[in-house]
Amino acid sequence: MGMTFRKRKRNTDAPKEGKILKMRLSSVLLIGYRNLMINKFRSIMTIGGVAVGIGIITFLISIGFGFQEMVVREVTKDNPPDIIEIINSNLDNFVSLDGTMVGRIHDISGVDRIGRSINTGGKFVMGDSQTDGAIYGIDRDYSEMSPLKMIAGSVDFGDGSEKAVVSTRLAELLGYADPSSLIGQSIGYDIILSGETNSESRGDMVRSGNRIDVGGVYDNRDKSVAYMPYSLLGREFGVDQAQQGKVKAKTQADVPNIRIEIENLGFVTENVGDIVGDINGFFFIIKIVLVIFGTIIMSISAMGMLNTLSVSLLQRTKEVGILKALGAKRGDIFKMFIFEAAIISVFGGVSGFLGGYGVAKTVNVVFNVLASQKGNESIDFITIPGYFMLAIFGFVAFLGIATGLMPARRASKTHALEALRYE
Amino acid sequence: MDEEKDIAIEVVDVKKNFHVGENEIPVLSGVSLKVKRGDFALLVGSSGCGKSTLLHTIYGLEEPSEGKVYIDGKDIWSYSKDWRADFRNQSIGFIPQQSFWIKSLTVIENIAIPAIIGGKGFHESIPRAAQLIELVGMGKWADYRPYDLSGGQQQRIAVARSLMLDPKFIIADEPTGNLDFKAGQEVLDLLTEICGKFKITVLMVTHNVEQYKYGSRIIRMRDGKIVSDEENMNSRERLIQEYPDVKDDPSLMEHRAA
Repeated sequence: MGMTFRKRKRNTDAPKEGKILKMRLSSVLLIGYRNLMINKFRSIMTIGGVAVGIGIITFLISIGFGFQEMVVREVTKDNPPDIIEIINSNLDNFVSLDGTMVGRIHDISGVDRIGRSINTGGKFVMGDSQTDGAIYGIDRDYSEMSPLKMIAGSVDFGDGSEKAVVSTRLAELLGYADPSSLIGQSIGYDIILSGETNSESRGDMVRSGNRIDVGGVYDNRDKSVAYMPYSLLGREFGVDQAQQGKVKAKTQADVPNIRIEIENLGFVTENVGDIVGDINGFFFIIKIVLVIFGTIIMSISAMGMLNTLSVSLLQRTKEVGILKALGAKRGDIFKMFIFEAAIISVFGGVSGFLGGYGVAKTVNVVFNVLASQKGNESIDFITIPGYFMLAIFGFVAFLGIATGLMPARRASKTHALEALRYE
Repeated sequence: MDEEKDIAIEVVDVKKNFHVGENEIPVLSGVSLKVKRGDFALLVGSSGCGKSTLLHTIYGLEEPSEGKVYIDGKDIWSYSKDWRADFRNQSIGFIPQQSFWIKSLTVIENIAIPAIIGGKGFHESIPRAAQLIELVGMGKWADYRPYDLSGGQQQRIAVARSLMLDPKFIIADEPTGNLDFKAGQEVLDLLTEICGKFKITVLMVTHNVEQYKYGSRIIRMRDGKIVSDEENMNSRERLIQEYPDVKDDPSLMEHRAA
């Protein structure tokens, strides 16, 4: 049989104090795993309970975050967060966005550039056709910060420019079914100038019989609009005070300070961050509700897990007894139970997270398929931020420890003889 | 000096009291004994006389109220709980009355469990467990679950488990208490054979007089005290005189004759 006993080379000395033997982690994990496998149905139900809890939370939160991100994305699409709107409409302060003010704003720390605009009314004439519409005077910086969706031609709104960009609607009303054919044509216009656009004016005035070449057409099928160079309006009509401005900050972090400085000059400022803040505030409340809902679900899962582990401990009391009698230490027994809880929570957590995210993604795909059938654009409303993933895994770890702690402590404290006598 | 080295287990004036409510019940009342190396010592007496308590005190599970327990010259109750756990694990094989198992592990893995507790991995412990399961004649049951086996088979496996770490001592608490006569005899035959072959000191509790034939020493207890401690005389007349009910047991006589 080849059986040998080390007859004389035995463990003649028991281990010295301080060199305490410990079970290997791999052995502890294997025993924990085997124990879960021997009670497959119970283990699957418990892991399933955790998975459903985590899955529902992941599903709800990923939709919550996704919708929030989608709304913010739509709102900020044409309003970058590093752009500050300046409005010269503070009734308490008689300040004007003239050249001096533009220079002072430009000198504020963190300002990259500043653009100006005025808007006013006018009348456009082309042969026998004529129509009322809006005239915007903008400079190059403004046009770059608020780009037009050009469909034909292009115009540089710099100081020497003398051409206009008109909307497709205006081109259509002037008799050009093909808007691009208006490019290079000269159109006549009258302009109503507000007194606030001219530092020397004492009231509104109308300047008629003007002409301007069309350099480009942009996509706007609703309104009759012509964009003209701000400098041209200055040269032709004495415009030297803008009604609105746009400031681009060097970084988004500079925005709050720049706003304060500009407001100290007497202007009103707006930034898309204000709207985003309101949106985030709204979704924060929604997420709080979802978290409360998820916490209730997880509490039920946690109770199921605690119940399973407690029953497992009761069923294995004699096992704990014999392990201790044969030399297992409190730490070994503690690890055995805590790892069993960890296995349940990790399996439940990972499968729940993947399941919840998968279902949410599937809902998104189905929604987009239906939307595309009706001619709408696809949207992505499922998002899980990295920190939420970390939070989920942190929560899973907490769940494992919290629910495993009590049974593990109880098991590890059990006296070997009491456990062996347990009925 | 040589005589001292020859002593494997020494119990000195051990007392143990249990508290039941406000009452203090003495279970061991100043027990002293010495077990020599290679002894197959039987601790006998009627139920409730304190023999299991004494065994657990020697095994390091039940702390005595007073007195000392020396194993291999070490005062085991002067060490920490964890040290005693390691000492049990590394030096003493334990066979309880009822075999307790890790339900989720196979028979062979259960035999290996003392080594696993001692810090070894399953892979490196299984070969030794495989040798032991063959030694006790249970090789074909290696991959079964222990609770699928009969009581006698389970106790054979318990013997194998007790030998896993090549112990110097085996402590057995009525190992055949739940078995029928034949199964019990097979287990004890196996135990005496292995322990005799490998010079393992055995201290076994029994209240079955039919098993006295296996002991090289018989220590009798009554009411928490040792009333006699003597080498087994192997005397038929003496056994019959003291225990008339065993006179018709031929196996007892065969064993003595051998």
